[in-house]
Amino acid sequence: MELNIYLLLALLIALLVIAYLLAKLHRVRGQLSLIKDALTDIKNGNLNRRVLARESDLTKQICYDINEIAMSSQSRLIQQKQSEQAYKRLMTSLSHDVKTPLASLVGYLEAVESKIVTGAEQEEYIRVATEKAHHLKDFVTALFEWVKLDAGEQIFHFEVCDLNELSRNIMADWVPLLENHNLSYEIEIPETEYMTRVDPTAYTRILNNLLQNILTHSDARQVSLTITETEQQAKIMVADNGKGISAADIPHIFERMYQCDHSRSAKGNGLGLSIAKELVSVHKGTITAASVPGAGTTFTIILPKAL
Amino acid sequence: MSDFVIETKKLTKIYGEQTAVSSVDIHVKPGRIYGLLGRNGAGKTTIMKMILGLTPITSGEVDVFGQNIKGHEKRIYPRIGAIIETPGFYPNLTGTENLEIFAKLRGTPRPNAVKNALEVVGLPYRDKKLFSKYSLGMKQRLGIANAILHDPELLILDEPTNGLDPIGIAEVRNFIKDLSVDRGKTILISSHILSEIALLADDIGIIDHGVLLEESSMEDLEKKNRKYIQLQVSDVPKASLILERQFHVTDYAVQDEHNLRLYDTALDMAAINKALVVQDVAVISSQICNDTLEDYFKQITGGEGIA
Repeated sequence: MELNIYLLLALLIALLVIAYLLAKLHRVRGQLSLIKDALTDIKNGNLNRRVLARESDLTKQICYDINEIAMSSQSRLIQQKQSEQAYKRLMTSLSHDVKTPLASLVGYLEAVESKIVTGAEQEEYIRVATEKAHHLKDFVTALFEWVKLDAGEQIFHFEVCDLNELSRNIMADWVPLLENHNLSYEIEIPETEYMTRVDPTAYTRILNNLLQNILTHSDARQVSLTITETEQQAKIMVADNGKGISAADIPHIFERMYQCDHSRSAKGNGLGLSIAKELVSVHKGTITAASVPGAGTTFTIILPKAL
Repeated sequence: MSDFVIETKKLTKIYGEQTAVSSVDIHVKPGRIYGLLGRNGAGKTTIMKMILGLTPITSGEVDVFGQNIKGHEKRIYPRIGAIIETPGFYPNLTGTENLEIFAKLRGTPRPNAVKNALEVVGLPYRDKKLFSKYSLGMKQRLGIANAILHDPELLILDEPTNGLDPIGIAEVRNFIKDLSVDRGKTILISSHILSEIALLADDIGIIDHGVLLEESSMEDLEKKNRKYIQLQVSDVPKASLILERQFHVTDYAVQDEHNLRLYDTALDMAAINKALVVQDVAVISSQICNDTLEDYFKQITGGEGIA
């Protein structure tokens, strides 16, 4: 009799275990069929497909891994697409930005050549035409520089040099230009030596582009360059007291071809800041902008010290 | 893979006597943001609810991921994330705890899914604040976090910026855009604000009194929304010279050998045409394109306008 009860109990437990295992098996089979579906979908190119798993699922790790593979291919694909699109945009705006000044340049020159204008007016036409030609040349140069940077074809010549000395030399060239534009300036560069590895040409280009940007766009009356250095990094701040940049524009100013002035008459070429950004990142540094509309803009470059 | 992520065929909803949605065919393409635009009560929410199976369909069909939703609910719905009206959360639990419950119920595509989702919407992970103490903006964000918790391929968002302040609206708009651009999600979003949809959507469907009046890509709509004067002339360089010298026009772009676009529509075209002709530039055509989206919507909704 007692034996029977034990037997019954054992049977009951065995049944429960079997029921539990069957339930588990059922869940796994369900999961496997979901995984199969998802894999077919992913194989057919739907990289957004995910397989969901609960904490308790036996197949959890497999699901997570499938998702991770899909996610990483997806993000690579998207990156590729984005750079393709950016390139297309570049080509379109390029054709516009070259066509318009070129057409008017031809217009001026033809007027001079066919003697429609004479004397002082003729001289004025030639002056305007020359200005336009120079602008075009600068634009094309900047564009080539940018494309080279973007394609990673630019070759850099890093050398260990005194950042303070280099900055002083760059600013020395800028002083007459700033004075010509009636801009007052404040330059604070430490007297000490700060040796770090930079590409002097690229560094010069960065500062030039920032200052040129102020000259062209900001309507500022005052600019300042302040350098502060620590053992780890150099901080270079270029500030103006001009019209500032709106909060809506700030996130985009380092994008190529972005111009805050949305009309087509905008001066500049929309490349200076994006070149500066590329060059800063080549130095493993960062560049950021902060602005109060109406009060001015500050660009801050952080370059890690390297020897 | 099917051409459309969502396709409705003659979708209709009748409440008693009233037809809320009448024979609507919408087509949501993969990887794009589809904006349903219409005034309050136009039928946007009803359409979304029918797609999600939250309300019975009177007649017509809904295909999601190329499958009719009827009979495939279990396969389809885990691949969708949605917010319809105010999301239901437990008031006496924190945001993290609420999401953890949903994560347990639905399963997740990877470990740390809750933390990730909260990061995307900018809410703190494991914060002590109870849901009942959340501001409207935080509630809305948690709703979106819940919708993206399982990294779904398709998001259905019903007025996700409702009740947010302007900064909140801009932030939500940005991360919805990021979800589409950086992560390739397909998004169906509704709004009664034209400017919101215009900033966000790639495709747009306009609903009025339950009827889909128009379905079109934003690109095509923008072509109808340009303000410029198209000038077709025999000699573009000469024309641009005259425009610059005599009329001081700078805001223009050269399209090709014969076409110019002037972006200032307030110009005195009669005088310009005359000046061009007098100086031997044949004007083949000059045409003002001066439609705005707003005007266009008025036109298709029969004069009432939207927003």
